[in-house]
Amino acid sequence: MRKVGIVGIGHGKFGVRSDASLRELVFEAVKACLDDSRITLKEVDSMVTGVAGDEFSFGIQPSAQVHDYIGFHPKPNFRVEAACATGSAALRTGWANIASGLADVVLVVGVEKMTEVPTSTATEIMGRAGDATWEYPFGTTFPGYYAMIANAHMAEYGTTEEQLARVAVKNHYYGSLNPYAQMQKEITLEKAVTSFTVAYPLKLYDCSLITDGAAAILLASEEKAKAISKKPVWVAGLGCGTDAMRLGDRKSLTSLQATREAARAAYKMAGVGPSDIDVATVHDCFTIAEVVAYEDLGFCEKGEGGKLIEAKETYVEGRIPVNVDGGLKSKGHPLGATGVSMAVEITKQLRGEAGPRQVKDPEVGLTHNVGGSGQVSFIHIFRRQ
Amino acid sequence: MEFKNFSLFISQTKVNRFADDLAGGKIMSTLCKKCGKQYYPPQADCSACMASDMEWKEIKAEGKLLTFTKIHVPPEHFAVRQPLMPFSSLQFEPCPVGIIEAGKGLPVMGWIPKMDVKKIKVGMKMKASPFTLPDGKITIVLEPV
Ligand SMILES: CC(C)(COP(=O)(O)OP(=O)(O)OC[C@H]1O[C@@H](n2cnc3c(N)ncnc32)[C@H](O)[C@@H]1OP(=O)(O)O)[C@@H](O)C(=O)NCCC(=O)NCCS
Ligand SMILES: [Zn+2]
Repeated sequence: MRKVGIVGIGHGKFGVRSDASLRELVFEAVKACLDDSRITLKEVDSMVTGVAGDEFSFGIQPSAQVHDYIGFHPKPNFRVEAACATGSAALRTGWANIASGLADVVLVVGVEKMTEVPTSTATEIMGRAGDATWEYPFGTTFPGYYAMIANAHMAEYGTTEEQLARVAVKNHYYGSLNPYAQMQKEITLEKAVTSFTVAYPLKLYDCSLITDGAAAILLASEEKAKAISKKPVWVAGLGCGTDAMRLGDRKSLTSLQATREAARAAYKMAGVGPSDIDVATVHDCFTIAEVVAYEDLGFCEKGEGGKLIEAKETYVEGRIPVNVDGGLKSKGHPLGATGVSMAVEITKQLRGEAGPRQVKDPEVGLTHNVGGSGQVSFIHIFRRQ
Repeated sequence: MEFKNFSLFISQTKVNRFADDLAGGKIMSTLCKKCGKQYYPPQADCSACMASDMEWKEIKAEGKLLTFTKIHVPPEHFAVRQPLMPFSSLQFEPCPVGIIEAGKGLPVMGWIPKMDVKKIKVGMKMKASPFTLPDGKITIVLEPV
């Protein structure tokens, strides 16, 4: 397998982007990515586009809108999909293109345009990422699935609503420092715990946002990476795991087996363990998801996730900084873009370009991106040298 | 009966008999004749031994509550008109849902119409039964025993 490096990153403004269409959002991110890498599309061999929902993009071939608009044809481009983890699936696909020798330079794009439909429609589209035959008839939604994980976690480990709210307070604080974030606004613990219930026990501030946005990264083989960039960030490990479709069929309701499996594979491939990770972005689609991720990734013992955030160990100054870009919670969660956006953030951190959110001198970073209610999970580990 | 009366969207499956039995008052599983693995929700095919020779078996739908929630921001289908949201009153008061473990590996999901969400506790013993809604749709409800 050939070594693969990140040689360019681009991030558009996340938010309610009523000013732009899907393809226009992609253009912003791709332009920024090419500017960052100082190469042109002529030097790119192929492309992978991550878009999660046709029902958001109003068409089953959003990848074609994208390559058409940036003028990439006739070179290879197709769409990959893994629900909320689509962006990471795109990155994994791009990596495999290069590692296998099929291409030397690959552009990975993630995008979602979610606010073209009202919240109730978006909730419906996402709710059917659960089992549309056996769960959806009970009115289940995304917040509903994670609320069921939260109730199980609270019952088993005594995790509190206040601990969950502390995740939101942290992520909003860092979002306020991230110019690309949808909600650049700090919140108080009081405000978070008193916000309205979306799915008991999860409240408004426990939920990620509905977002329009795009992100792009440029991957290259070792040789090309060294030629293009002075400081490439290397992909050191990749892991992917899966679990049962329905929550009820899972071995555990307080842990995501898909994440545990992905973590095992990624740590092994990178030759590192949880204590070697200097900075991480995890899938905080709901505050409980971040708490469970702390545990599944090995940042703390099982059941201790609530205490980890209470002790502020996941702040920039803490033992293991997590989601110091604002996370899905306040940066926003444009499904297909999220995994790519996570890789952009970790690259910035490893390059030392994260400004007021910079973690001190990190060498190893991790991204964790979950599809659906935990049916699939992707973990990528990146290294500075 | 159309499977859609239970599933809302999906109408074509090899296990559509499930809806008829549900309307007839029974919650049915399938059992692999070759290796004995039992499936709820029912499957027409066995992922344990890859056989497709199954028999139907009613389940004793009683067990511990694995987890629950109450969804206040419903998906479009349930939000359109109040009477479509089962067990909901006119001023929108959604109905809790939960999953019980009716035997090892047999999780049964259902609405919990008769309980205040604050009184629902993981681990409480509940039973599941079929329920026909006023519009003719069929579903499953859970109640404490
Ligand atoms: C929670 C949720 C239902 C709220 O949506 P909504 O009811 O349409 O909210 P609105 O857009 O009407 O916004 C009302 C206010 O709350 C704010 N808001 C909306 N969602 C918010 C969130 N998740 N967190 C904090 N504030 C939020 C809005 O900015 C707005 O503020 P303003 O009145 O100051 O302008 C929606 O954000 C949601 O479904 N989130 C989860 C997304 C999801 O499931 N993603 C997939 C996960 S993998
Ligand atoms: Zn069998």
